[in-house]
Amino acid sequence: MLLNRASSGERWRIRPDGPDKVTGGLAYLTDMSVDHMLYGLVLRSEHPHARIKSIHTDRAKQLKGVHAVLTYLDVPGLNAFGIAHPDQPVLCEERVRYVGDALAAIAADSLAVAQLAAGLIEIEYEVLEVVDDPERALLPDSQQLHPKGNALHRTAFCRGDVEAGFKQCIHIIEDIYYTPRQMHTYMETEGGLFVPGEDGRLTVYSPTQHGFMDRMQLARILAVPQAGIRIVSSPIGGSFGGKDELNVQPYGALLAIHTGKPIKMHNSRWESVRAGLKRHPMKIAMKTGTDAAGRLLAHQVSILSDTGPYSTLGAEVLNFATEHVIGPYRYLHLDVNGVSVFTNNGMSGEFRGFGGNQAVFALEGQMDRLAEKLGMDPWTFRKLNMRAVDDLGPFDQPIVMTHGADHVWAAVAGCPLWQERNRLETTMDEKAEPWIKTGIGAAFTMHGAGLGVGIPDPAGGRLKLAEDGKIEAVFGYEEFGQGLLAALEQMLIEQFDFASEDIRMIIGDTDIVPDSGSTTASRATAMMWKSLQRLKKPFSDQLLQRAAASVDRPVEQLRLGKGGIKGADGDELLLTYKELAAAAGTPIICETSFSFPTSSTSRVGAHFMYTYSAVVVKVEVNTLTGRAKVLQQYHAVAAGPVVNPQGYLGQIEGGSSMALGFALLEESVMDKGHYIARNLDTYLVPTIEDQRGLIEVEAIEHLPEEDDYGPRGVGEVGSVTVAPAIAAAIRQACGKWVTKLPVEPSLLQEMPFFLRKG
Amino acid sequence: MSNKAVEEGVPYSLHCFINEGEESIKTAPSTRLLTILRDELKLTGTKRSCDIGRCGACMVLIDGKAVNSCLAMAYQCSGKHITSIEGVALQGIDYIQQAFLEEGGFQCGYCTPGMIVSVKALLDDNSEPTDDEIAEALSGNICRCTGYGGIWRAVKQAVERKRQLLAMEQKEELI
Ligand code: FES
Ligand code: FES
Repeated sequence: MLLNRASSGERWRIRPDGPDKVTGGLAYLTDMSVDHMLYGLVLRSEHPHARIKSIHTDRAKQLKGVHAVLTYLDVPGLNAFGIAHPDQPVLCEERVRYVGDALAAIAADSLAVAQLAAGLIEIEYEVLEVVDDPERALLPDSQQLHPKGNALHRTAFCRGDVEAGFKQCIHIIEDIYYTPRQMHTYMETEGGLFVPGEDGRLTVYSPTQHGFMDRMQLARILAVPQAGIRIVSSPIGGSFGGKDELNVQPYGALLAIHTGKPIKMHNSRWESVRAGLKRHPMKIAMKTGTDAAGRLLAHQVSILSDTGPYSTLGAEVLNFATEHVIGPYRYLHLDVNGVSVFTNNGMSGEFRGFGGNQAVFALEGQMDRLAEKLGMDPWTFRKLNMRAVDDLGPFDQPIVMTHGADHVWAAVAGCPLWQERNRLETTMDEKAEPWIKTGIGAAFTMHGAGLGVGIPDPAGGRLKLAEDGKIEAVFGYEEFGQGLLAALEQMLIEQFDFASEDIRMIIGDTDIVPDSGSTTASRATAMMWKSLQRLKKPFSDQLLQRAAASVDRPVEQLRLGKGGIKGADGDELLLTYKELAAAAGTPIICETSFSFPTSSTSRVGAHFMYTYSAVVVKVEVNTLTGRAKVLQQYHAVAAGPVVNPQGYLGQIEGGSSMALGFALLEESVMDKGHYIARNLDTYLVPTIEDQRGLIEVEAIEHLPEEDDYGPRGVGEVGSVTVAPAIAAAIRQACGKWVTKLPVEPSLLQEMPFFLRKG
Repeated sequence: MSNKAVEEGVPYSLHCFINEGEESIKTAPSTRLLTILRDELKLTGTKRSCDIGRCGACMVLIDGKAVNSCLAMAYQCSGKHITSIEGVALQGIDYIQQAFLEEGGFQCGYCTPGMIVSVKALLDDNSEPTDDEIAEALSGNICRCTGYGGIWRAVKQAVERKRQLLAMEQKEELI
């Protein structure tokens, strides 16, 4: 189904959080303030790498209006955080390892006073050599950033004998692909409000993708029981993975506890840039070979990932990349290695696509090069080598079987844009200026959902009939723009036949919601769907049984409906939900908890469920300016049933825009461990001018009949294949292979014909 | 921060009209309008993101023109009529906001108030903008979530609504 408003009919709904968003009425957590609050500020490192000889805070503390100046000495519990491995200091003690490292936290009457105080803190550093090249960082003589050395994590996967495989190959392609340090650039920078309560509890209003994970980490830092902390975590002005790790929370929490007063924090953009996560820059070397007929025989990959100063999810991202450089293709011989390296560059971490974007750019680049070498159509070449329905996953692990790969492949092969490509090869656009060249390219992916084997991946939720007659749907997921509330509302309406007025959705508050796991890895919609499937029968049964007693009719003659209980075969309202709630009996609550389904393999990180997707793009290259412009896109996505058409379309469009930035515009350039771009004047993300072309989204909903896993995630796939498709289109347009992103205009610039010597 | 300004005896007092109400605010002449709106008046619909006039999240109308409130200082607002997103919605959701709702012109919504203010400035001034004019008017508003597809659809729908509204007005005048 081509997804748009017309084809969606009544399923195209206004989001429940929409009216407050368009009127400015919605209070984001960084919009909150209370009387007598103080302003919090973090003093960060001047150097990317230095030993700390001394920190003096006396002058700062004496400043009028300053309430607290905290250093590592004031951290009562574990002075470190990190989702996977807590090795990032809350406040540095002996050493700083990047320009975002925090040294002191200040609370003052106003931001201006806090800034003044920060200037009065005296720190003596011994500057150390900056380790900014991940390759050099691995050499034995490099400065070691952590006790275990500079390699955070290594991966390997082998099948067959790759050397022997290459000996049999007729065609071999070898290339090295580079991808940039991309910035999330969520519009709402990090911040929030930290309120100590009279009961001794701390309430944290600060955006995050996993409130319970924050609570656990803050409890560890503050050395208090988890029950002493309440995290309120939604709504969020964008995250894309960037707010999954703690950011300002440790500082706000410490300052609130120390001063006993509410603390407001809201990062400036520069603060957000220097301290925030980025997409892991990767260097991916690939050698891939085929036999004479074009069948893949051998594939050798080595991935070098710059993880920056601390672990965050560097190992997990590398695992994901390692899986996705293998992807949906069959190889007899395979040898993949990866290493994630500590450096003094900016923090790398989780970012939409989770290492898939880098991997797929390289892998699809190889497929295009091989096809060309063989003189084959690139899509035919992919088909020849693509996984069959019952093939194992990339790591030879059992996966959920679907026809997604075939369907996506066929959708692209048949779409008008791809067919136009074949015409382009033979005809030149005579109307166009001679320096404007057009090309069409496509790329494919199978993208894993969920956290994968070996990582706790809990899910669940709760339904309750509240006293006021509202049906409460309570989940531990977060709304950061992706349309989670809209998806939940739509499922409740469509699966239970409630009206939107019957429903109250509650998310993002650790005091109320069950732990449903992290809102990440394209998993939330799928896990809410699954939860509702599990809750549907017990919850409906209880409601109907209670109703049956009340209206004195057999259960079989009743059904749930809009506004209340109705007769099974009529639309007459027999009992409102409010009346039902008031009817005597025990409260009606149903809860479920389970885990994201995983593969029966021991390979950590291997996935079980995949979304298949591909994109075709038409690109125009201006060979005078060297700028490439995306004119048109066609996305085919096989992710099971469409839960919320507007949200699905929006996620693909939004992900694709982010990938367009990744491919053509964005790079957080660093010079010796310092960021060059500090704000949005020099770090450029796509604007409306960059996105004027048509985007079509084909949603392939088909799943095998016995499949009960339901909808797969679409939060990431829109962003994964765009860059390699652009690279392929550029190749067709002007004959140049792109190996480094973002594409440098100088690569595409050509001497104008009238300047060329005859 | 204007409390501090008052304590320090800063003599500046800003008189202006904000969302139709008359305001008199003691502040420093260089306080940014963004700070006044968000921190003093608690009008947090106007968002803060880059602080340097690049992202458009803080866009407001000053005498009908779209202006980045992070770049406008108090003294520059003296006597002016300022409309923030709260002012756009004073009479309830207007046709531009409705178009954003129906077409999915937002996701996280953080850029949305600024985006809508920019669209309003455009359509108040030019009811039949070309695509180039739309792109130009919105090129100072960054949205990281939507990919702009929904925003394009919303603006097109708003232009259509505006055309209908104008036609209706004309009809009424004729009667
Ligand atoms: S905050 Fe004013 S333009 Fe970005
Ligand atoms: S909707 Fe999130 S920035 Fe535009």
